[in-house]
Amino acid sequence: MAKVEPGMESMLEMYIFETNTLLEQLDEILLRTEDANVFSQEDINEIFRIMHTIKGSSAMMGFENLQHLAHKGEDMFFVIREKPEIAKDAHFVYELIFEVSDLYKAEIEYIQNTGDDDYTPTDFSETFHKLEEATEKLKAMENGEAPSASASAPAASAPAPTPAAEEGSMTVRVFFEDGCKMENLRAFLLLTKIKDEAEVISCTPPDVESNADTAKDIIENGFLVTFKGFDGNNDAVIKTIEGAVNVESYEIIDTPAAPAEEKPAETAPTAPAAPVEKAPVQEKAPAPAAAPAPTPVAKPEAPKAAVAKAQDDIKKANGGQKQSLISVNLSKLDTLHDIVGEIITTESMVIANPDLEGLELESFSKAARQLRKLTDELQDTVMSIRMVPLAGVFQKMGRIVRDMKIKLGKEAELVLEGETTEVDKSIVDNLNDPLMHLVRNCMDHGIEDDVNTRIAAGKPEKGTVKLSARHSAGEVIITVSDDGAGINCAKVLEKAKKNGILTKPENEYTTKEIQNMILLPGFSTNDTVTEYSGRGVGMDVVRSNIEQCGGTLNVESEEGKGSSFIIRIPLTLAIVEGMKLKVGDTIFTVPISSIKESLMVANNQLLHDTKQGEMIMIRGMCYPILRLHEKFNMPTEVTKLEDGILLLVDVGGKNVCLFADKLIGEQPVVVKPFPKYLSQYNIKAQGLSGCTVMGDGTISLIIDVNNLIS
Amino acid sequence: MSENYNDKLQELLNTQKAMEDAKKDPQNTVITKVLTFFIGDQVYGIEIPEVIEIIEVPPITAVPGVPSYIKGIINVRSKIVPVVNIRSRFGKEEIPFNDRTCIIIVSTGEVSVGLIVDSVADVVPVTEQHISNTPDLTGVNSNRFIKSILEMSDGIKLVLDVSKLIDEHAAEEFK
Repeated sequence: MAKVEPGMESMLEMYIFETNTLLEQLDEILLRTEDANVFSQEDINEIFRIMHTIKGSSAMMGFENLQHLAHKGEDMFFVIREKPEIAKDAHFVYELIFEVSDLYKAEIEYIQNTGDDDYTPTDFSETFHKLEEATEKLKAMENGEAPSASASAPAASAPAPTPAAEEGSMTVRVFFEDGCKMENLRAFLLLTKIKDEAEVISCTPPDVESNADTAKDIIENGFLVTFKGFDGNNDAVIKTIEGAVNVESYEIIDTPAAPAEEKPAETAPTAPAAPVEKAPVQEKAPAPAAAPAPTPVAKPEAPKAAVAKAQDDIKKANGGQKQSLISVNLSKLDTLHDIVGEIITTESMVIANPDLEGLELESFSKAARQLRKLTDELQDTVMSIRMVPLAGVFQKMGRIVRDMKIKLGKEAELVLEGETTEVDKSIVDNLNDPLMHLVRNCMDHGIEDDVNTRIAAGKPEKGTVKLSARHSAGEVIITVSDDGAGINCAKVLEKAKKNGILTKPENEYTTKEIQNMILLPGFSTNDTVTEYSGRGVGMDVVRSNIEQCGGTLNVESEEGKGSSFIIRIPLTLAIVEGMKLKVGDTIFTVPISSIKESLMVANNQLLHDTKQGEMIMIRGMCYPILRLHEKFNMPTEVTKLEDGILLLVDVGGKNVCLFADKLIGEQPVVVKPFPKYLSQYNIKAQGLSGCTVMGDGTISLIIDVNNLIS
Repeated sequence: MSENYNDKLQELLNTQKAMEDAKKDPQNTVITKVLTFFIGDQVYGIEIPEVIEIIEVPPITAVPGVPSYIKGIINVRSKIVPVVNIRSRFGKEEIPFNDRTCIIIVSTGEVSVGLIVDSVADVVPVTEQHISNTPDLTGVNSNRFIKSILEMSDGIKLVLDVSKLIDEHAAEEFK
């Protein structure tokens, strides 16, 4: 079966994006309300808005199962909306809504990853059933607690079949473009839009949302809608109709027909916004139906006010800056990014052209400087376009902590810090899995199983998992930490021994080395495999995921106090300002950000340690020397330290002097990853982060000082 | 030099339609075409669909920490491509590059690799009758990269299995 109707494919991506965003919002609200244990009116309205949008767009895309799922969710919240108090302590509501949210995410991922022909909609009937049960239960609770509550429910039976007249109202007949398909849903979308601007009194056909057969009717007779603008202003609505997608023409039917005036009086004058929310309303109808006559005038006010308020909220939620934001396909940004990279390479190619060597070109250099300034700006702008705050990823972790809290029976809270820190979009995407894994690890392995252990150690009963992010010298540092048991070195060592991953005698390992062992492939300290972690593939996958986006992962832990996992990721992924070094025939590039100084040495500054390691005294400080040609096994003629040059580099407080033949100069370089074929050889661990094409077309290897030293 | 080879490739593309037509003739069905090259005196071949291009040897940037048969990386129109010396890959002695040495860039889907060969020979059409039965040499290391053996009038040609040649796992075992 085809996933979507022909012609709708282009909408699919938008649908997926939008729905995912909405689901994230939903999760966020639910987490917040669950903590506060109360639904505020705004929260409920927001949840309604989300459910409703998902329902509408799912229906438009033809995903019936998703549409019904949202509908049932709406039903449940309809009950809660009437009486938010009943949801207090009703954990089953949260469980269920989280389940629905998960089902949605799974289904959308499935839709995204499945070929057209292989797609079969998942059957959600079990969840439908659960939702129905919950709705019943809530209703029972509602009635049990306050039997009179339902009396205040908006009274409505069947939606008014003909346009109801009201002072200042307006009736418009809308025709959609020929062959635009699914006219009923387009009408429904239009209706939703009109509701932002006006109070919709009635529409014909009334059940456009759920009844696909109405499409035919709309094609023939048009879609008839009667509304009354807020403040009596109907022009805004007309504009909305004019601006709506696929609307071909509309006509204004000025005066409502006479019979229409009588009819509403008989049936339900209190049915303002009812037409689109029939199902739940009908079930509750009996109470008000018993006494519709006595209060025909007083009642409309309440629902109207509620509707107006809801609409206000919707407007607020949509935000005032809507017009200044656009969403762009990431692949376009990637292309832009690549082009900027090429421009910068080409710029170097022109400015550092060998043909220009030795020439005095004043105006050329001036123009070149100007160009450089502009390309720098261009680069910064492109980078900033791709920057997104980490908040989205961080907030998802709240959900994981919540779920695991319940499953593992541990008390813990998630603390977020610096979630407004912005990083490249591609990094954010790559961070999701590693962070999830680390947070799970903290919950599962970190936080103590027994609360008494915590109390005995003088820690608060409730464990803390902290996610923090900050910028530091051209990189983003993300830390996942817990105040749990910490890493038991003896246990790690024992396990490593058993798994045969030790490479030197046990007693030679430092604490830090032992702690970092948990990042090695095939290591798992948890004795039993749990649902969440402990399969022994985790940490090295986390590490390689992070390395894929150019980052590094380190562990710091103190037994009994907790552990931290520190992720460092270079801020600007692709372009670094580099210093070119020559070693033999190879040109290396060292990021300028890690260079402290370069110097020539005299023999008397040199020292030798007991292992024949070379060191140098600079201004009373002693630094080890690392000969690049030895480290990378590159033949060179310059082997005497006096003949070459030393480059003092600094990474995270560690200083080392790199020895190279000579310096060539500075250049911004576009970092390219090593080709896939070489990825099996772990070149990164050798201290090389990638390569770059230089102005003359040759390749330079980029040194990652951090890995080089460790 | 490279232009000549690329011309040959172009020529081949032009004749592909002819190939299609020839297929209809059951007597002399051209199954595929093979680019042949020399390593010492031995002629090897690579099936044309796997060949991207043939280039002269550009400056090669050595990469540390890789097996000795991986000579490094080269820049092919802003794409970084690793190069493998076929001689050392097959355990033969390396010879200095000369003006006939060239790099055949092959690709299996995502992975592109340049193969350094002594010289490129020809593009030959292969018909059913050329293919001799490959003796079952599974497990014999020296023959694991051979896809098929062609017996032609001008000698025997060994067609390489490119995917095996650049397959990561195969490389792993080799270490």
